[in-house]
Amino acid sequence: MEFKDYYKTLGVPRDATAEDIKKAFRRLARKYHPDVSKETDAEQRMKEINEANAVLSDPEKRAAYDQLGQGRGFQAGSDFQPPPGWDAGFEFSGQGFNGAQAADFSDFFSELFGRQTGSGTRHAHHRMRGEDHHAKIMLDLEDTYQGTSRSLTLRMPKLDSQGRTLLTEHTLNVRIPKGVHAGQVIRLAGQGGPGMAGEAAGDLFLEVQFNPHTRYRIEKKDIHAALPIAPWEAALGATVKIPVPDGWVEVRIPENSQSGRKLRLKGRGIPATPPGDLYLILEVVLPPATTQKAREFYQTMAQELAFNPRQHLGV
Amino acid sequence: MTHEIDAILIDDAMLSLDELARSCQVTREWVIERVQCGLLLNEESIHADPATWIFDSHCFIRVKRIIAVEKDFECNPELAGLVTDLIEEIEFLRTRLLAAQLNKD
Repeated sequence: MEFKDYYKTLGVPRDATAEDIKKAFRRLARKYHPDVSKETDAEQRMKEINEANAVLSDPEKRAAYDQLGQGRGFQAGSDFQPPPGWDAGFEFSGQGFNGAQAADFSDFFSELFGRQTGSGTRHAHHRMRGEDHHAKIMLDLEDTYQGTSRSLTLRMPKLDSQGRTLLTEHTLNVRIPKGVHAGQVIRLAGQGGPGMAGEAAGDLFLEVQFNPHTRYRIEKKDIHAALPIAPWEAALGATVKIPVPDGWVEVRIPENSQSGRKLRLKGRGIPATPPGDLYLILEVVLPPATTQKAREFYQTMAQELAFNPRQHLGV
Repeated sequence: MTHEIDAILIDDAMLSLDELARSCQVTREWVIERVQCGLLLNEESIHADPATWIFDSHCFIRVKRIIAVEKDFECNPELAGLVTDLIEEIEFLRTRLLAAQLNKD
């Protein structure tokens, strides 16, 4: 397990005031907001920033963390095991940290603070439904056409026999509903946090996102793809066979089509209710003039066709 | 091998006020206040009985965003709602841009 330097994560000195920490957190939270930031690792950075803030903004956790590092020379990334009794004399209220959030935090945090007398023991004797947990699931576009099963492994907080929170890996085999699309949320009943004193477990909510696709761009239920065609197919019209996410279709190219023309295949997008559409953007691809014969064809076209593509520019 | 679990699409079953509040670890009053501010659901819902409200995937994700903005920046609901509107707009435009294949770089 690696030691985490929370001060370094927030970019503040070890003697920073609570106000300094709050300002640093807000500045970084804005910079790495996963919905806005263009940084490639924004989501991971935001988790680290949240974790550092959860410790440093809580006076009890910060004091214990400071004592842990004092004189032991731990550096960020160095191998770490908490010394026995490292937290003697501290009490953790559990504020700013709950089981559902725990899954996003590191093993380091879990080792130090997840085992404390947090929400688990405080409510161990009360009847209480388990917490709902939230996560994201990345699907391939093809998954939504077929409604396949996916295996996913999540870090889930569980209570041990003492009522302490421990992070464990939990593998679920989930049947993905056909027609689901990005931004929708699916619910797995009873797969959240455990209930107390015989109460039901919480549910797991998964926000659906799609992995980038090499051929398709996805916009809600609609999908978009480029369709390369030859100049004669564009000019004369043609019927071409192309692959789509759920098989093959034959598409009629209208005559006198140009690059950029958009064809709509109604109902061939994501099979939701109602289904989305599949848009094909025509892309006229010219044969290269690399042979004598090809050059002659182009020269014949130039001579025979009175064609000026820049006429609208007045030239 | 673990057994297969059926996933239910929220947009098929929808969430009640209590389910939404419990899942996002806020109170019913917190949600009601945001509906009354116009941050969730539509205008007609403000005057309807909260027991009749139902929330879809979009509302669920929106609530999570509003909670995060309010907490991280200690701001009021209206400002968090504005930020959330802008985040959704960015998301929409980025998707559009990708679909138009304009940002190949």
